[in-house]
Amino acid sequence: MTLTGEHGPERESDDLIAAEYVLGVLSAAERQEASRRIESEPAFARLVDAWEARLSPLADAYAPAEPPQSVKAAIDRRLFASASPSSAPRAGMWASLGFWRGLAAAAVAGLAISLALPYLQPPAQPQVRLVASLAADSSNVKYLAVYDAAHHNVGLSHLSGERDQGKDFELWLIEGDKPPVSLGVIPVGTATTVSVTPSIQQQIEQGAVLAVSVEPPGGSPTGQPTGPVVATGDLKNI
Amino acid sequence: MEPQDITKLIVRTSMKDRAAFDLLYRQTSAKLFGVCLRVLSDRGEAEDALQEVYVKIWTKADRFAVSDLSPISWLVAIARNHSIDRIRSRRQPAADIEAVLEVADPSPGPEAAAVSGNEAGQIHRCLEELEDDKAAAVRGAYLKGESYAELAERYKVPLNTMRTWLRRSLMKLRECLER
Repeated sequence: MTLTGEHGPERESDDLIAAEYVLGVLSAAERQEASRRIESEPAFARLVDAWEARLSPLADAYAPAEPPQSVKAAIDRRLFASASPSSAPRAGMWASLGFWRGLAAAAVAGLAISLALPYLQPPAQPQVRLVASLAADSSNVKYLAVYDAAHHNVGLSHLSGERDQGKDFELWLIEGDKPPVSLGVIPVGTATTVSVTPSIQQQIEQGAVLAVSVEPPGGSPTGQPTGPVVATGDLKNI
Repeated sequence: MEPQDITKLIVRTSMKDRAAFDLLYRQTSAKLFGVCLRVLSDRGEAEDALQEVYVKIWTKADRFAVSDLSPISWLVAIARNHSIDRIRSRRQPAADIEAVLEVADPSPGPEAAAVSGNEAGQIHRCLEELEDDKAAAVRGAYLKGESYAELAERYKVPLNTMRTWLRRSLMKLRECLER
């Protein structure tokens, strides 16, 4: 099988650039250009992924080396700065950026704990947790979806891709040949959770597919998708 | 630790679970530090790079779901690419340390290839089908992130010759791996 036969010479040269990027031989400017394309061109990103996978066994030759403890401390300071003792002066808690960051972090942590609970406390009955990455060749819109049976919801985080001005993204559940069921309009640039009813849960657990379509503001007026589907994916057990 | 477990830790990290992130760091930081050290050949720089790599992992963990890579390969790719970008943006390579490391670990022996499983065995077999210096150039480029310019200098050939060599080698590798 050759890529030339299937996709023409342009694709072939893209595959070479992907290989050179992964191998690490490109110049700084060429690497920047390749990184930009990885972000914006899903087909190119897949070529890069394929080379990462092909060459990854070479990474076995990297000898592990224990980093000094100061590195993890520095990472924690950078990511979770509000915990640092040398943070903003106590001039006024309400004016402190750290305080607001901490508040936001606490809110996020609350969400994370509710999502992660089934891991942290092994439950009495088996819990179903499924993950889907929603994407499509025709667009750069990507969402990560995590279905949590115990909490009757689907957590969604928006990874990439903008919607046009005056449009909304709407989430759908599609089971086999049945008409799609709307799970509502979903936000861009943030994470959210969508509650699901027992009948939707049943469909999810039977292998229904999630899809995102472009709709007028506020969602489809007809109850069925009216715009193009920009991302789709099936849920996999983790 | 099984790949399945690392997958779970990455997914939990994407949900901003700090306990999972801490555990992920404990399980994977030695490998990723090894990557940074090998590419950057400088301890201080490798430590800075490792920090930035884990900051990236924390903020971009959700991207893992849209990748087809195994979890450890995904993490290694972040560390390698970050280190290579870093070394490319710096002017002078740390030549002396480079020379010291040169002796240390050119390529894993046959036993290493055998234990790391079929796939790994396959790429080493395919590299053996290339001429010795070309296989060494591919390995060196991958492990150290050497640029075409640096490789051309080391092998004392014009840059374009080096480029042609490596491109042919990469296409031969792909053919061999797809057989």
